[in-house]
Order: sequence, then structure tokens, then C-alpha cells
Amino acid sequence: MSLATKSFQAIHQFNSEGWKSSKDLKSQLGHLESELSFLSTLTGINIRNYSKQTEDLTGTEMTEKSIRKVLQRHRLSGNCHMVTFQLEFQILEIQNKERLSSAVTDLNIIMEPTECSELSEFVSRAEERKDLFMFFRSLHFFVEWFEYRKRTFKHFKEKYPDAVHLSEGPSSPSIVIRSASQPGFELVIVWRIQIDEDGKVFPKLDLLTKVPQRGRVPGCSCFRCLLNMPSKAAYFLWVSQGKNQKLEISLMYFSIKF
Amino acid sequence: MAGILAPGLTRTLRSLSPLAGQLLEKALGNLRWSRRTLYVQMASPKEVKASIANVEPNLAVEMSEQEVLEEKLENVKAVLQAYRFTGLSGKLTSRGVCVCINTAFEGNLLDSYFVDLVIQKPLRIHHHSVPVFIPLEEIAAKYLQTNIQHFLFSLCEYLNAYSGRKYQADRLQSDFAALLTGPLQRNPLCNLLSFTYKLDPGGQSFPFCARLLYKDLTATLPTDVTVTYQGVDALSTSWEEQRASHETLFCMKPLHQVFASFARKGEKLDMSLVS
Repeated sequence: MSLATKSFQAIHQFNSEGWKSSKDLKSQLGHLESELSFLSTLTGINIRNYSKQTEDLTGTEMTEKSIRKVLQRHRLSGNCHMVTFQLEFQILEIQNKERLSSAVTDLNIIMEPTECSELSEFVSRAEERKDLFMFFRSLHFFVEWFEYRKRTFKHFKEKYPDAVHLSEGPSSPSIVIRSASQPGFELVIVWRIQIDEDGKVFPKLDLLTKVPQRGRVPGCSCFRCLLNMPSKAAYFLWVSQGKNQKLEISLMYFSIKF
Repeated sequence: MAGILAPGLTRTLRSLSPLAGQLLEKALGNLRWSRRTLYVQMASPKEVKASIANVEPNLAVEMSEQEVLEEKLENVKAVLQAYRFTGLSGKLTSRGVCVCINTAFEGNLLDSYFVDLVIQKPLRIHHHSVPVFIPLEEIAAKYLQTNIQHFLFSLCEYLNAYSGRKYQADRLQSDFAALLTGPLQRNPLCNLLSFTYKLDPGGQSFPFCARLLYKDLTATLPTDVTVTYQGVDALSTSWEEQRASHETLFCMKPLHQVFASFARKGEKLDMSLVS
């Protein structure tokens, strides 16, 4: 009987340990997955894959001087809203008696969509500077502006469907305002999102007008006054502060009058 | 049931008293997991091989469930670790989240800072390691309640810029002390620097005085630069040209890189750097 009991206990213990570790794994996985989803929401950046390789470059001479040199190769991919990225970079870590220094020694970035020319310039600059953090920071702000521009244009398109046209679809960088009754009159608002040398993201607005010469269109000059944009800087200011009222009022007037 | 178990196990069971054997079988009956562990534990290597071959299909699937879970777990852990490469990562806490902001300048990884957030209405900062001269309260007042991502990335901007300015000043002091003719004067925020330097340390010329002001706290290059030359022939063309070109250089390139170019070219400044 004792042998049976022992065996039984051994089996039971092993079983319960077996079950415990599986349940444990599941709950641990669940907890970490929710932490990951939280982080993704918090930063707006969704990392899907990551892998790393480490290479010890410490030579025998270095070991004698208590210097350690390690090269890490990282690969990660994911997306930030509609932009997907794939990064490969190397970090060189040098540890001597006083401190540990880490530096990015190589950075390669692949981004999609590739049509955004503003983004491709920015990517080469980030790669040149090996500035990993600037890449993600500017990417975040770029996407924020991109989504804001999309929402704003969509709002106007929905509110004034006959007058407003998105030349390149929902993510168009410009809108064209036309009137069916006054065919010669056209207004184009171009809203580009630029990234400067330091990775600062800012909108750049341009207003192009096509107005018939004769001025036979009655409310035409009035419309221009309403829009009243003395300088691009002023335009940029009120768009960036979310104050689209001027444009809103003008478009309302436009749709009523024409 | 005995037929499903490995031959070795069956033999073991039969060697026990009938009651013990039955108890064991019952215990094993519903625990399919235990069958696998039993194979591994009790059967000899040869028998393990055989038993795996005899195993039911659903048992084979279950055998790798643990491995699948373990792999998934490793993947998730790795991706969580990878977030620090975005410059922004965090760990959940009992109160909310502790966000870690990493800084770097031109590829050099520098200090990290943390902000411990309490997830309540309203969101608040429990404690943090952000230096006092960074306008944290201002940034929080603007964005914390309405757009937490903007708050975090904005804070990243300020901290990275501060780290970058500090790095440049530190490098100037440590690597180019030979060209400085006096101590580097700097404020904690590292946005106001003042120093005197000479291109030819042993030479007869007077030093240049430089004052760099970084009005934009999210930038690592100065907004206002004044370089003066206090020498006797202060009005001579060559000194004036140099003075003016230095002013331009300090505006365009990081501080330590400007000094690196001074050190490389010696007395003659490469005019191509100015264009």
C-alpha cells in the first residue's frame, strides 16, 4: 500500500504542478498581453515583432583592462495608425571601470505608405543621425496631424458635399472648393505636414484662388474678405488651434450664396 | 484503459496490489495531462519513444500546448522590452502606470526619467524624476487631462532636448578643455552657455567670447549666438570674418562638433563648413 500511496502522491504532485504551471502560464500571458495593449494605447505605437542578437566583441586585451564591448542587433516592426515601420538597428555597449556607454551605431528604417514624400525625407535624416527616439517622436506627431487633417477635411466634405471636393481621396492633402452654379470660381486649400531638421512637425498651409476676372460673381470679394487671410502664419495659427470657424463660416456663406 | 498506457506503466501498475492499481488508474483517468508526465517520468527512454508513437492524436496536441504558451509568453515579454527603443515605455502599477522616458542625442543613449501616473479622474502625477527646471506642470496643465499621448511626447521633446544640450556642454568641457581659456559657465537647464576660447591656445591672440542662448527648450541648437573678440586689432577684417563665421557655426552645428572642427583645422577655419 505504501508504494502505491507514494506513487500516487508523486503522480498527484506532479499533476498538480503540471496543471499549475499551465494555468500560471495562461494567467501570466493574459496579464502581460493586457499590459502590452495598454502600452500600445498609451504611446500610440504598436510593436508587433521584436528580436535581438548579441555579439561579444571584447578582445583579450580589453578584458585585461576591464573593458567590455558588446554589439546588439535589434529588429522590430509594428505600426503607428496607418503607418507601418520596420527597423533594424545596432547598439554598441562599452563598459569600462567608470561607466557604461551605449550608442546606436547603425539604423535602417523601412516605412509604408511610401507615397508620403514628406516622410521619406524625414526617414533618411533619422537614419543619418541614428536618432531612434526622434524617429518615433516625430512619427507620433506626424500621425496626429495627419489624422486631424483627415478629420477636418471629412467634416467639411460631409457638411458641404456639393462645394467641397477631396482631390486625392480621404487622406488628401488638399481640398478644392467649387460651386456648381459659378463654374469659374475655385478655391484650393493645401495643407501639408512638414518635418524640419530637428524632427519638429508643423502644418504648412497654402491658399490658391481661381476667380473669374470680370467679378460678375456677386459675393466673390465678400467671400475673400470673409476668409480674410492676410498671412500664412495667421492661417496656420487658427488651424493649429483647432479654430476652424473662419473657414466654416466662409464655406457656409459660400454654399448659401452659390 | 490499460491498453492506452505504455507497456512499462502497465507492468508497474500490475505489480501493485489490485486496489492500489485501481486507485492509480482512477486518478489518472481524467487527468490527460498526467498521462504525458507519467510517460516521461516513469517510462524508460526506449519506452518513451514507443509510447509517443502509440499516443492518441489529442494527446499529441496537448503535448505542445505548454510549449506554445511558453513561446507566446517569451514573445510578449520581448515586445514589452522593445518599447524602450521608442523612447517611451512603461510598467503597470497598482495605481496606474509608471512611464519611463529615455533620452538620446545623435545616437548616444543618455539619461532616463520616469513619471508615475495615477489613473483616476482627474489623471495625476504621483511622483517623478523630471528635473525641476523642466516645465512639467505647464505641459501637464496643457495636455495631461485631454491628450495623454501629447503630454508624454511633449515631455519627451523637452527631456531629449535638455539631455542633448547637457551632452554637448559636457563634451565641450571634457574633450576640448585645451581650447577653453576659462571655465564654461552654464545654467542647470543648459540653455544659457558662456565661455571664452582660443583657436591657438599657446598663441598671442586674444580669446573669443561666446554666449549661446537656447530660447526654444525643445531644441538642441541655440537661437541666439553672440561671439565677440576683445583683442587690440578687433576691427581687422580677418578677425571680424572669423568672429562672424564662428557665430554662424554655433547656430548650425552641435557645440562639441564645432570645437572638433576648430581642433582639426587649427588656426585656419575651413570656410566650406560655413556654407
